[in-house]
Amino acid sequence: MGAKFKALWRKTSWAWSPESDRESSEAIVKNFWLHWFPAKVARASMDWNYSFWLGTASASLLMILTVTGLMLMFFYVPSTERAYGSIKDLQYAVSFGRILRNQHRWAAEGMVAVVYIHMARVFFTGAYRGTRAINWVAGVVLFLVTLFLSFTGYLLPWDQLAFWAITVGTSIAKQAPFVGPTIQFLLLGGHEIGQQTLLRFYVLHVFFLPVLVWILFAYHMWRVRKDGGLAAVEGIRNARVMVPKATPKTKSYSLFGLTPGTSVAVMSSTGLEESDQVFSSPNMSRRIALVFLVVFNITLLAAILFNAPLEGLANPSVTPNPAKAPWYFVWLQELVASTTVRFGGYTVSGALLGGILLPGFLLAVLTAWPWLDRSPIRAQGRWLAPERKRQNMTFAIATLAIIILIMVGVYLRGPYWRIYWPGQPRPETPRLY
Amino acid sequence: MADKNESFETKDFGWLVAMSLLFLALVAVCFWLEFRTEWGPYQRQFPQLLGHYGKGQEARDFQPGIQQIWIPKIGVTDRCITCHLGYEWSSVLPATIAEPLTPHPTNDWMTKHEFAKFGCTPCHGGDGAATTVAGAHQGGRGWEDPMLSNALAQQNGLAMNGMIEMRCNFCHRHDAATPGMDEINLAKVLFKKKKCLLCHVVEGRGGATGPELTYEGDRNPELLNFAHVTGDHTMFNWNVQHLTKASAVSPKTAMPDFNFKPEESRALTLLLMSWRRLTYPPEYIPDPEVAAAAMQPSPTSTVTPTPSATPVAH
Repeated sequence: MGAKFKALWRKTSWAWSPESDRESSEAIVKNFWLHWFPAKVARASMDWNYSFWLGTASASLLMILTVTGLMLMFFYVPSTERAYGSIKDLQYAVSFGRILRNQHRWAAEGMVAVVYIHMARVFFTGAYRGTRAINWVAGVVLFLVTLFLSFTGYLLPWDQLAFWAITVGTSIAKQAPFVGPTIQFLLLGGHEIGQQTLLRFYVLHVFFLPVLVWILFAYHMWRVRKDGGLAAVEGIRNARVMVPKATPKTKSYSLFGLTPGTSVAVMSSTGLEESDQVFSSPNMSRRIALVFLVVFNITLLAAILFNAPLEGLANPSVTPNPAKAPWYFVWLQELVASTTVRFGGYTVSGALLGGILLPGFLLAVLTAWPWLDRSPIRAQGRWLAPERKRQNMTFAIATLAIIILIMVGVYLRGPYWRIYWPGQPRPETPRLY
Repeated sequence: MADKNESFETKDFGWLVAMSLLFLALVAVCFWLEFRTEWGPYQRQFPQLLGHYGKGQEARDFQPGIQQIWIPKIGVTDRCITCHLGYEWSSVLPATIAEPLTPHPTNDWMTKHEFAKFGCTPCHGGDGAATTVAGAHQGGRGWEDPMLSNALAQQNGLAMNGMIEMRCNFCHRHDAATPGMDEINLAKVLFKKKKCLLCHVVEGRGGATGPELTYEGDRNPELLNFAHVTGDHTMFNWNVQHLTKASAVSPKTAMPDFNFKPEESRALTLLLMSWRRLTYPPEYIPDPEVAAAAMQPSPTSTVTPTPSATPVAH
């Protein structure tokens, strides 16, 4: 009875059922979704406490941003006359428009944070050694593109917040030696923010940068596989090298062991034993679905609870006091402000030192770090290895300093860029009536 | 090994189910939010109201949903009427019906400024695109065009209609005097009488001692010095006090103390703040001579302009 019911269930729920083992195996081998991942994945890579699945979370955010962004494109008009109105329409008149925009906004700001935390994880686990150094550099580039994507999206609502944040951001870019004014001119499409800027930022935001991110993301994933998976497995591999091994077990090309008999025997390419690994499908695909759902739910909850900021229509003649860069660039603004020196009536702008040289130096060091790291190779793939203590401290302190600067800029800076402590009354912002 | 696999499966699967349920719950919340609108209850109430006042057919024809007056050439998308459904039913509904269903009063200038041509916000201010009470009336952060409500007018010592005259003058700027615009008419008389153009340039005419006033209404209130201003830090308040006694607000100013009466300072402030860059097409700008002719008392005219200093509540 049970078997008959099972057969009936199969017939009703599947339009096709495999007639032989070969068909069963091909059903999986030929499936795109089941072939995205390697056949097997190291158990160590699946550990929540190793990677926190931050890369998957970043990719999930990218997916959410792409889909919500494509839907927003049906409503958004990149013109200085219509942009603000189309955002208001999304906010107030389009079905689910408010949720859609909120989710896009919070996912975007979340992505900047999650990509950085992902990078911090890779740093603290020393997972950029050997061939993975190239992927570290790809990751740094991905982080920069993420920042730029977020920055270009910031202008699109064409409200006061957007207009002045981009004014601050592009003014910092102008201070780069030699090329600064040209960069600013190219970004703005002129000497001040206007229709050309909006159009440029829009095209960058909805086409060039997303395509770049997706290509780099694909490359990043490919590298992860080619570099032998997460660095977490290196410890196992290194340990195994020390142990004299018996003849390596053979492995079948037939994935998932669905085909009986033997096929061409190959050496295990990863040096990992069967017992170190689990099948990617369903273990990893299920896990990825789970991470995606968690990320999606968090962004959707944020979208339900908090409205994305939208201030008054952009007005070039009314500067808000203070005008702040987007939060992820506020630490640069803070550096610019604190490295600006005044002697009487004479001012030395800190924009070059604080806005260009210091962050440029940090970025160069960050990119080159895999080649600066001289710690023993056994330190890789482990959280906070004692051999890398000084490196980790350096990274942590730099990150902490940036976080403090961001906090100061976002929460403490008030009118005229003065510090106002929490609870300290701020001067009333003058209104019209 | 099998055990470890087992734990992967069961744990992850349990979480997957939990997260899927949370996802479904959140989607349900989204739908609930989408259909639980602020305007929904009013739109259910309105057809009943129409039916009660003998407009059964209109009540049956009523189509619920966001309603708007859309006038692209003056940039108006006014969804105010999504809640203020009674706005053009003054012939049927009594004026005593509670807001937001109250009909708009009809009067002489309402016949000249039809809803279909002007919408709501050109006169009243506020955010016409918004479909929430807070969003439409107060606006959000950095929003500088709040609705000119009774409360706001009272804060500034004016009646609501007096305050709205500032917006009338966006188009009626070049009228020597306009019927019904008592505040602005008074201000225009004072502006001439006190010879403001001796020191200030307005539209290319005047002396250069003081700052140009052509677009005085577009000034950034943040650039004003409120150190010597008592009360609210508003551009309105700054202007009122500056006009009354310029030396008290700006100690170094060359402007004499005119010692205007408070109502005169308020009227002049309205005039100054009405001078903004306009985006209205020419057909919206009235002929100044027509307005001047309308000001002449004639037996057929129902308008009796009485430039008075006291705000008139309409």
